[in-house]
Amino acid sequence: MTEKTFPELRRKLTSGWWTSNRHYVQYMVREWTSLFVALFSLVYIYGLSLLATGSRSAFLNLLKSPAMIAFSFIALIFTLYHAVTWFYLLGQVVPVKIGKTTSKPWQALVANLVLLIIVSYLVIWLLVLR
Amino acid sequence: MAAGVEMREEAPRVARLHAILWGIFSLGGMFAAFLLPVMIYLTGIAYPLGLWPLNGSRDPSFLVMGTLLGVLFVFVTVAGSLFHGIFRFQSALTEVGLLRLKKGLEAAGYLIIFAGIILLAYYLLVLNPSLPAL
Amino acid sequence: MVVLDALNYIKANLDGSLTYRWSCRMGVCGSCGANVDGTPKLTCASFLHEFKGRTINVEPLPNFPVIKDLVVNMEDFMRKLVKIKPWIIREKETPPEQGEYQQSAEELERYQQFSSCINCMLCYSACPIYGLNEKFLGPAATALAYRYIEDSRDQGKNVRFPIVHEMEGVWECTLVGECSVVCPKGVDPMLAIQKTKILGATNALRSILMPRGGR
Repeated sequence: MTEKTFPELRRKLTSGWWTSNRHYVQYMVREWTSLFVALFSLVYIYGLSLLATGSRSAFLNLLKSPAMIAFSFIALIFTLYHAVTWFYLLGQVVPVKIGKTTSKPWQALVANLVLLIIVSYLVIWLLVLR
Repeated sequence: MAAGVEMREEAPRVARLHAILWGIFSLGGMFAAFLLPVMIYLTGIAYPLGLWPLNGSRDPSFLVMGTLLGVLFVFVTVAGSLFHGIFRFQSALTEVGLLRLKKGLEAAGYLIIFAGIILLAYYLLVLNPSLPAL
Repeated sequence: MVVLDALNYIKANLDGSLTYRWSCRMGVCGSCGANVDGTPKLTCASFLHEFKGRTINVEPLPNFPVIKDLVVNMEDFMRKLVKIKPWIIREKETPPEQGEYQQSAEELERYQQFSSCINCMLCYSACPIYGLNEKFLGPAATALAYRYIEDSRDQGKNVRFPIVHEMEGVWECTLVGECSVVCPKGVDPMLAIQKTKILGATNALRSILMPRGGR
């Protein structure tokens, strides 16, 4: 029957819906850390604009300013949080089959963390130490 | 058809553009996860505090001037992270109740991404005039 | 004893007008979904000893219009289940005399968990995206579509892909993941949605790079 014969109660989701549940809070935190990933990129592009217009000293002073150092620490923490949650998601979404066993998400997390350390060292070696 | 279930009138359309954008977003997420941490560390922490490996006299401008590898690293990391971060933050904003502003937020987000990547490419080219020859 | 027993007790002894759905009382029919102490659960699978010493609220499933007491209007959910055409679609049916469509154990394993869905709607109640946007296709419907997409006997990708890959299909999902947490049957709809997104992205790329071939 497509005819409604009673009035229905429609309950709308309020903007605080995510506070009701621990998983929802973790989800919101995870999503909002992406803001710092974007913000650091924007700040970096701003810094590049200083460098590209010839004011190298302005660029270096920006990097040495206490505000920038504090921001970089926060951005690094939140970017690492993004990386860790991203690796766990990868483990959930793309499980790897080795023989008869399927990988668990925490295993993907550990494996990718190791990969992160290796890649970071590779970047430093290729771009700084050589 | 089961009784009480209406037929859909319009034919469903594949959101091809959004599928591609999602693919780029996922790629950006990989770059943000694997490449951004070391970049933040080098630029924002190791250099100003004189920590390894920048405890000598090198400042981070060498990352963006001179080597193709450095330029590629910075472009891919910053562009990918910007795309990923803005894309995700758009949806995070609409989910906390700003649903009415969804179209406006999306437009603003894509504008920032577009402008950011164009500027990034432009500055990298200005800093490396010999790059197109490589 | 379970919450369903408590509901039955209330109806029998305290308030005969209490209205709620239930059937098998053993977690296989999917009828008795409700919000138990803030979480979408099957009332027949919510043991009272978990709530010992406390007073809990049993509410109708969130994100659905309430008809009466714990009974919600399921029509949107039913419409979406039908929309993804939950049956084997063949380009050409072979006559029964030729035998069954054969399937190996490995081929079965690729979609088996997604066929466990009992249509209890707990995942839709757990999904905030569905709560914010009723047009979202949602976890169960996408998992069911994926079940058929991955079924080796099915040849209906061309029919199902436009449905799951339209804007209100999988793309609205932002990986909250609560659907898979509340599912009483271990279907993991979040996994199905992400796999469908990957299929969508690769298809879109392929259709751009190889517009006339590469099926």
